[in-house]
Amino acid sequence: MKVTVLQTNLAHGLGIVSRAVSPRTTLPVLANVLVATDEGRLRLSATNLEMGITCWIGAKIEEEGSTTVPARTFADLVNTLPGEQVALTLDPNTQVLNVRSGTSTNDIKCIDAQEFPPLPVPDMEGALHINVADFKEMIQQVVFAASVDEARPVLMGVLVKINGDQITMAAADGFRLSVRTATLSSPFAKPVSAIIPARALAELARITSDGDQMIQMVFPKERGQVVFRLKDVELSSQLIDGTFPDYEQIIPRGYKSRTLVSTAALLKACKQAEIFAREGSNVARLNIKTGSNEMEPSEVEISAQSEETGSNETIVEATVDGIGLLIAFNVKFLREVLEVIKTPNVAIETTAPNAPGVIRPVGDDTFLHVIMPMHIS
Amino acid sequence: MTNWNLIGHAWAVDLLRGQLRRGAVSHAYLFAGPPGVGRRTLALRFAQALLCPNPPAPGEPCGTCQTCRQIEAMHYPDLSVVQAEKEGGVLKVEQVREVRRILVLKPYQGNYRLALFLRFQEAHPSASNALLKTLEEAPAHAILLLTAEHADQLLPTIVSRCEILRLRPLSFDELTVALQERGLSESQARLLAHISGGRPGHALRLSASPQLLEMRTERLNDLHRLLSASRVERFAYAELLAKDKENLRQTLLIWLSYWLDVMRRASGAHIPPLNFDRLPEIEHLAARFDLSQCSRVVSALQKAGEQLEANVNSRLLAETLLLDWPRI
Repeated sequence: MKVTVLQTNLAHGLGIVSRAVSPRTTLPVLANVLVATDEGRLRLSATNLEMGITCWIGAKIEEEGSTTVPARTFADLVNTLPGEQVALTLDPNTQVLNVRSGTSTNDIKCIDAQEFPPLPVPDMEGALHINVADFKEMIQQVVFAASVDEARPVLMGVLVKINGDQITMAAADGFRLSVRTATLSSPFAKPVSAIIPARALAELARITSDGDQMIQMVFPKERGQVVFRLKDVELSSQLIDGTFPDYEQIIPRGYKSRTLVSTAALLKACKQAEIFAREGSNVARLNIKTGSNEMEPSEVEISAQSEETGSNETIVEATVDGIGLLIAFNVKFLREVLEVIKTPNVAIETTAPNAPGVIRPVGDDTFLHVIMPMHIS
Repeated sequence: MTNWNLIGHAWAVDLLRGQLRRGAVSHAYLFAGPPGVGRRTLALRFAQALLCPNPPAPGEPCGTCQTCRQIEAMHYPDLSVVQAEKEGGVLKVEQVREVRRILVLKPYQGNYRLALFLRFQEAHPSASNALLKTLEEAPAHAILLLTAEHADQLLPTIVSRCEILRLRPLSFDELTVALQERGLSESQARLLAHISGGRPGHALRLSASPQLLEMRTERLNDLHRLLSASRVERFAYAELLAKDKENLRQTLLIWLSYWLDVMRRASGAHIPPLNFDRLPEIEHLAARFDLSQCSRVVSALQKAGEQLEANVNSRLLAETLLLDWPRI
């Protein structure tokens, strides 16, 4: 292999794929990045067998070839190279890659590309096309609610359901549930229901840049995988096998009290409450008060206290429809959902202090979030 | 001759091959037997037969394709190998949790995802409990392979959820023939078959590294020298021995096999000795010590081995052992 690439392109590409490198593994080759010539471009790939990322960069190819380069060494080196151009020359017999740039010349010991696990070569025919900005927003609105507890692996993923032109993403961790739906520009041929690891989706949201317009999503047959393709980047992930809990059951059917508040004001109040609540068990109380007469405004009082730090209380103006109520939530959960709500106002629907609360953006019925209340003694 | 290419355990191969042919593979297997008997090799061959993309016959691995070679080297993407950091170490609960997370993902290349837990008797109790959950509700594509010395070292709840294959040492003659087939001379093959106690893996390891055999000879010579050594010499030797824990462990095993031979001889049994090449010496010692003396040494060695695993101070251990060493 003999290629010349721009240092900035190579550094950028390595930065993207290195997120899929697994440094501590029983397979030494997984700590490496696959570097291969591919139809006039240079292909960089890494995988941890759960998630794989491939990035293509422009290159001047003099001689075809491929190898796998230790990711850490390669990335650290490329970031410090002095020259604008980087020449990569592989000796296929010794698997030593010579990296030359400006006055710097380096030899890196590599592992034969044959050792690298085969990466999916998906057929992008019939792929689903989604607007990147929309898809990114969808991911961000659900992915934080996925569980990090390995005891329930199914909940470490995000359920993605496609039916006709409707796409739904749902994630839950046993304490909260986030559901987001969207309408596709064109209906998808067959219904899909898959659990994608939350890490992979979070990574996808991170690597999509503003330059990307459309994202293509495809589920290769019989592979138990999902592949997302952007202009120069491809991310694939193994799907999680299992049955996602029937989340529709968890969503309360009605409410006794509906509280409308300004999203920004409530978020600010939650952030303040969290400063005190985080010392304890993250409990924040929401005292929803209805006005005693027409003239008196209704309000929500958010309070938190901790034995050591002290206590806090914030009053937020609200429009309450229904009964007054004192309910406690994990304030971290409340903050996290408010951070992903884009509408100026938000509705909190509650029934009783021991029944789940529903958070909805006002004027946007594509998103909802359910939070289990906390016990207040 | 099949591509399973295993020394001995033909019944186990037949059983597994039959299951593969019928498509009636269990979701968990426990390969029990002494170290070096072929537990891991059998488990890996089974994995090859299960995952080989172009098997020459149903239930047979080809042994030459990339998948087979990667499994052999335990470098296959859908095979997670989990074991304690070193022999005699502890298999941690985090390792089991990590595997549990990987197992629910759909397989990367083949139709199955395998997890191979080596020496599971070394698992921390919490690791065993963590595995239990996976054993109970493993996804359909997951197969768990465990190896351990005895089934009764594991939680009964784990054992009852596995199909158990108990691998026993081969007869000396059977192993001698098999080793000869692998290019060893007759005398060497017979010697190794005896020293290894009929465990093919152990015999092959010995033949691959002559320094292990040298070490054995050295340790057995030491054993003899110590019989007539003074207390000061014994203490000096104990200090030397205790410097390297792994060395001490190996030495205890070598000495144990030797004293077992002496004990058997002293009891009048005519079982072929493990230390075949030392027969005259063994008979000499068996004539000098009576059965109860020999069995005291054997149990002292066994106890020392257990205490070493339990992290007893190795120097004190070596000293006590040598203080009670029989004297000529």
